[in-house]
Amino acid sequence: MKVSFMDSVVVMIISGVIIAIGNMVGYKVDIMASVPGLVYLFLIILAGVAMTKIIPWKVPSIAYITLIGILVTIPAFPYSKMIVDATGKINLLATATPVLAYAGIALGKDMETLKKMGWKIVVVSIFVFMGTFIGSAVIAHLILKMQGII
Amino acid sequence: MNKALLDPKIHITVLLVTVLSEYIGIKRITVGPGVMLFLPILYALVITGALTIKRLGFFKREQSVAASPLITLSILFLVARIAVIIGPNIMTIIAAGPALLLQELGNLGTIFLALPVALLLGLKREAVGATHSIAREPNVALISEDYTLDSPEGLGVLGVYVIGTLFGAIFMGLFAGFLASTTSLHPYALAMASGVGSGSMMAASSGSLLALFPDMKDQIAAFAGASNLISTGSGLYVSIFVALPLTEWLYKKLEPVLGRKKSVE
Repeated sequence: MKVSFMDSVVVMIISGVIIAIGNMVGYKVDIMASVPGLVYLFLIILAGVAMTKIIPWKVPSIAYITLIGILVTIPAFPYSKMIVDATGKINLLATATPVLAYAGIALGKDMETLKKMGWKIVVVSIFVFMGTFIGSAVIAHLILKMQGII
Repeated sequence: MNKALLDPKIHITVLLVTVLSEYIGIKRITVGPGVMLFLPILYALVITGALTIKRLGFFKREQSVAASPLITLSILFLVARIAVIIGPNIMTIIAAGPALLLQELGNLGTIFLALPVALLLGLKREAVGATHSIAREPNVALISEDYTLDSPEGLGVLGVYVIGTLFGAIFMGLFAGFLASTTSLHPYALAMASGVGSGSMMAASSGSLLALFPDMKDQIAAFAGASNLISTGSGLYVSIFVALPLTEWLYKKLEPVLGRKKSVE
């Protein structure tokens, strides 16, 4: 599906409004108190998306968004405290709830594929998820321990 | 403007379901020695997922298709929100750099755990595609290039990909909470493991950890986000150079021992 820059902007404004409402219902943060933080996040996203369009390397926009978000909040950046305080009002999980609601709607089309696969692939998948998660957690735990961080 | 993306029915449903899910809030259920956490994100996924059931006739197929790019766009707030947590904690992240980079090899754990299971269940070449990685988009692309997607290997990777899309977040959310309450693995290590899959999987599993360890919430979010970014960037290379060759090698060793005589079907 073709998504233009304007489409992205409108959809992100809608998502921002839904996040603000969810942040009020779930975490008792006044809608007006969420606005500055959401605006900062929105500007970071826009800058990241713009960089993806301008820079010719094939790098996904999340890489630029993360990079910009990190740069403007490292303690050395002059406005970092202001940005950290404002965005701190937006509960992390409140930004994820609408995403998963959209994801649920997208599932409809995958259900048909799933029916063809049968139960064995479900069992194998569970072991794939467990294997990856445990493998990664164990290595991380051992190395953090060796470094004396934990 | 693309009308399908702005379909009011989709966005109003998402708003109402978000409000309902946040209103219900986090619920904890004790299961044996562990704790299972049910988060608003899980309710949201299950409720809108149920609304797509064909017989209900609530969402049409076109709406389901339009929802895919909406995930990609709305998740950017989560990405940016995590980035502004990483910034102030950047020194902690750099100090934990070796762990963050090497835990990427933990992906190989799936091969040793899931490949034998797949063979015992009677899968043949499907097992190679299914168990070489956690089967996110880059891995599907890799298998597609090496074997094509209508090969047995392609079916295997697509199977795990679809299950991951459908139930990955739910499963990882519950599993992370369970491991955190039953093992002595440190929350930081579990946070890094939360980043191995998709963005939704990371949100669900690190969400469980945040709820269980509220006094470490910034570090948990920062480690999970950094790990997810590293996985997205390097996961493909680990698959190409290590995971896929290792799966092929182990398949040759194990298949004659564990495999059933006849292929499934």
